[in-house]
Amino acid sequence: MSARDFQLPPLELAELQGGLSLLAIQRRGLPLFHARLSLPAGARFDPQGKAGLANFVSDLLQRGTRRRSADEVNALIEGMGAGLGVDCSMDELALTLTVPAELKAEALDALLEVALTPAFAADEVASARRRTLSALQSDLDEPGTLASRALINVAFGRAHPYGHPIHGYSREVEGFTAADVEGFHAARYQRKGALLAVVSSDEPAALAAFARAALANWDASWPAAAAAREEAPFPPLESSATPLSALVIHKADSTQAQVRIVSPGIAKGTARYAEAVVANSALGGGFTSLLVDAIRVDRGLSYSVSSRLLMYRHAGLSIFSSFTKNETLRTLIDVALEKMRGYAEAGPSLDSLEKARTYLAGLFPLGLESHEALAEQVSDALLDGVGLDHLRKYRSRVISVTPEQALAAARDLSPARPGARLVIVGDAEVAQKALGDLCPVEVRQLESLA
Amino acid sequence: MALDPRDFPVEEHALDNGLQIRLLPDRALPVATLYSFFRVGSRNEQPGITGISHLFEHMMFNGSRKYGPKEFDRRLEAAGGSSNAYTSSDMTAYHEDFASEALPLVLDLESDRMAALAINDESLRQEREVVKEERRFRTDNDIDGMMDEQMGALAFLAHPYRWPVVGWMSDLNRITRTDCERYFKTYYAPNNCTLVLVGDFESKDALAQIERLYGPIPRGAALPEVATGEPVQKGERRAIIHFPAQAPSLLVGFRTPAASDPGCLALDLVETALGAGEGARLRKALVYEQELCVDANLYFSWRVDPGLMQVSLKLNPGVEPARAEEALYKELQKMVDEPLTPAELQRAKNLVRAGLLRGLSTCNGRAHTIGQMEVMLGSWRELLGLADRYSALTADDLQRAAAATFAPHRRNVVTLLPGEQPEGAEA
Repeated sequence: MSARDFQLPPLELAELQGGLSLLAIQRRGLPLFHARLSLPAGARFDPQGKAGLANFVSDLLQRGTRRRSADEVNALIEGMGAGLGVDCSMDELALTLTVPAELKAEALDALLEVALTPAFAADEVASARRRTLSALQSDLDEPGTLASRALINVAFGRAHPYGHPIHGYSREVEGFTAADVEGFHAARYQRKGALLAVVSSDEPAALAAFARAALANWDASWPAAAAAREEAPFPPLESSATPLSALVIHKADSTQAQVRIVSPGIAKGTARYAEAVVANSALGGGFTSLLVDAIRVDRGLSYSVSSRLLMYRHAGLSIFSSFTKNETLRTLIDVALEKMRGYAEAGPSLDSLEKARTYLAGLFPLGLESHEALAEQVSDALLDGVGLDHLRKYRSRVISVTPEQALAAARDLSPARPGARLVIVGDAEVAQKALGDLCPVEVRQLESLA
Repeated sequence: MALDPRDFPVEEHALDNGLQIRLLPDRALPVATLYSFFRVGSRNEQPGITGISHLFEHMMFNGSRKYGPKEFDRRLEAAGGSSNAYTSSDMTAYHEDFASEALPLVLDLESDRMAALAINDESLRQEREVVKEERRFRTDNDIDGMMDEQMGALAFLAHPYRWPVVGWMSDLNRITRTDCERYFKTYYAPNNCTLVLVGDFESKDALAQIERLYGPIPRGAALPEVATGEPVQKGERRAIIHFPAQAPSLLVGFRTPAASDPGCLALDLVETALGAGEGARLRKALVYEQELCVDANLYFSWRVDPGLMQVSLKLNPGVEPARAEEALYKELQKMVDEPLTPAELQRAKNLVRAGLLRGLSTCNGRAHTIGQMEVMLGSWRELLGLADRYSALTADDLQRAAAATFAPHRRNVVTLLPGEQPEGAEA
């Protein structure tokens, strides 16, 4: 296939007072307006001993503003036919709203009101604390969620800014106070590092002018110079001296075990991005990848198997994921390790390299189709510091990955390279028996992840 | 606001063998989506081969006359595309998203497997194991999945909606290659399929390719009748599941009419008023005000035959299920006794309308919506006036729909209690 660069739709980008960025994108077609406000308020900014605070604060945004009760906020937003999207990730908080185009002024105003002037009433904070504790306990019933929580811990280490689950721990959430919430909001919901993206069928200049005018109404509520704390430098991820070590989370009565194998990966903005993505796609990214073939298609060991690169702005992980019935747990692990170690040595075949490149390049435009996807992809490219060429030249960069580059990425980023961690969620007795003398095993009760 | 047909210029075609074709060109991006909707799902199964529709969906990727095992996705991905499929109680849908230049290949792949799927014992053995893993994942080790399965078996006595789409484990072990071959011959004929293509293509060229590739495939025999009889429910039904869990859960199901019944639109708005968004009545009352549950969700989807509206409550630790049930029924009764306020009604209408629009914002979304309308309502054109039909509904309409649905004698209740099975219970 041809590797045409991708033509982004017309857009305008401006830096406003206080370091806030404004992005206006024109998307013709459906009469919709979308707004996305990205704030430097993700979970990596959780204070020590307050894991989950960023997410907790974001949960409270809709529970009332200085002008409106929670019911009034919901009536305002949902009355427009919208739902406020609240996505707290490690690096960012993103608030999103999509409405029929004729409601764009009301929608943007509502988004800014919720983000900038939450009330954080004491009874709402207490109620949110109880809800979060119940939800965290309920999460212990979800094997996949448990695997994710355990994986983050063992791969990053508890002290790392990325080393805790976004929803936090019960023992720390219990101590959240209204002062914690207000303090986090004041420190992190700042102009500097924030980006407002708006998408509609309007010309970008007119759309940007509209957004500027809407923002002007909130100048007083959004001081330009919030005091930002310096982030501590990100410690490098340490490799374990043990070639492979396992953590088993005991979940009684499981007839199936969740399996993860994880090693350090790469951050988002790395120069090796294209080769890493291509190498991962051939290993376990697509439906015809090496791992899917070996584990699902050839052996019927699992319904789902994948490898993926979890890329945050300052660090990342390389992760193998699957699950299988108790009886075939060891077989699945053996096949996965064998295939991943072989791939790290040999890299992708020329055929699978070619397939991975065209697969990624061909599907790329689909990720920019909707108003929401367009705003997210362009915002992320800007916030990650990779610039719009990351999107424009994605297809040609991917297509031009060489066999040597793919082999190097396969070797350096294998989830199963020496020092890898194996995480299993399932019946501990079954898992221990299956693992035998494969590697050292630590068993924890699932409550340890609460 | 109705959708303007000029903005939605769907072309309708049909081949002599009965294949229905819907084309919607859109040159905005160099991508396209193809959906193949087959009118077959778990409602077309019989006891003993439950799950065969879904198992068969997996088998469709294992080789055909021209393309050997593993070739379907290998060729597609190598051309910049991806595929997936799903099976419901009423239909099986296959779809490909792809770079537009891959259209000839995609049509060749899809038509070849419709013309001559290769089914062998080895691929059946492997897919059977994959599907059993899927069942363990989605049902046996998942609280929502096991409750949903129990709800089907409780609410339906005779109708095929009684068994899960994934099938009973014992039936999955029993299905033979002969069963699969018979299934393919019966249900995968062109006259049981609607093809929907949306995206970057020339209609004339695409249609010519479809005629050339699909035209020679022979029409199939008339489809067997589905045993849709279901006795009238004469009282509340209950089931209990014991499972190691952090807290109890509740699933309450009420019988609802078929998708073709105009009353379904009112139920869509009832569902939205009660269950959609942060300000939904159930969430407000049960999650925020009374703090009885972590989450309160309402599900109602159109089905070919009369189906269910279900309320799912994941209770907070320590909350007695009876207390949560009582609070839930109070909210449902309020929906019956009092009309929605004008603001609540408008909120529900706006949410549904915006949801419709958002669903049409991608090629995949448009193709899926067109196909769903064809299968459920008989024509994609129903979509054009849908927003207006929602708009015309009144608070009285919703009250009547709620009264007809939320009657206690039409209730089915599944309760999951934390803990092991009681002693003496069969393993």
